[in-house]
Amino acid sequence: MGAGMSVAEMQKSYIKIFSALMIFTFLTIVAAKFLHFPESWGGVSTILHVSIGLIIAIAKAWMVVYIFMHIKFDNPYIRVFIYIPLFLFSVLVFALTVLGGPTL
Amino acid sequence: MSSALSLAHEPVTGIRHGKLGMWIFLASEVMFFSGFFTAFIILRNTNLPVFAHGASELNWPLAALNTVNLIVSSLTMAMAILSLEHGNKSRFQLYMGITFLCACGFLVIKYIEYTAKFSHGIYPGTSSFFGMYFTMTGFHAIHVIGGMIPIGWMLAKSFTKRGYQDWERVEILGLYWHFVDLVWIFLFPVLYLIF
Repeated sequence: MGAGMSVAEMQKSYIKIFSALMIFTFLTIVAAKFLHFPESWGGVSTILHVSIGLIIAIAKAWMVVYIFMHIKFDNPYIRVFIYIPLFLFSVLVFALTVLGGPTL
Repeated sequence: MSSALSLAHEPVTGIRHGKLGMWIFLASEVMFFSGFFTAFIILRNTNLPVFAHGASELNWPLAALNTVNLIVSSLTMAMAILSLEHGNKSRFQLYMGITFLCACGFLVIKYIEYTAKFSHGIYPGTSSFFGMYFTMTGFHAIHVIGGMIPIGWMLAKSFTKRGYQDWERVEILGLYWHFVDLVWIFLFPVLYLIF
């Protein structure tokens, strides 16, 4: 695996991703539990917390998929199996929240 | 692509059948969890106070510990595959063993969390938040158990006389295991943190 990469190089990239995942986990906890926005911001504060949490989660997910699940090194056709469910999920969320929102 | 006649690979893309099957399964798994996440989003947006109150009753430090558990197990799984690919049997057993132990640790913590909720009189029917909480974490825990079975089997087999050499199978199992980690990466902030 890992087009032309040695075992040591692969291990190094795994450890790097592992460290990044740990740091991001720490950051997401700090952002959610210890980062407080001013009271006057009201709903904006919730939106910011949700956005930060989800952006960090997406970044973590991408690292797992790209390195641990070998998307970086493997057959490029496999990427189809990420794009299609991602697209369908987006459509589902969009349809039910944005389009169907007021009636729910 | 090694050979057009090889039955081991799907002829057009050159992906091995086992791996292709796992990726298709994982795509269906994404859709399976998408249903829960979408239901969660809609219920949350229409019952914000219920969800905020529910989430505040969850034990996030335990969940954070479980996040670490799964990240470590993902790393050791990747290392186990690499070790077996290069014929390092003892390293494979070590990494696979740690993966298995992390999975056990995850379930133990999950058990502690569930029993604490039950002892406080909190059940899936308590509120729409806890309905979603128990459904999503419960299905995730079932996925962890489902991964532990082949992990344990491959690990046990590598200790037998014949050993276990089929690293490509372990790689396919690894895809599934990383996916289980991936689901938790989203469950952790969504259920425990962002309110």
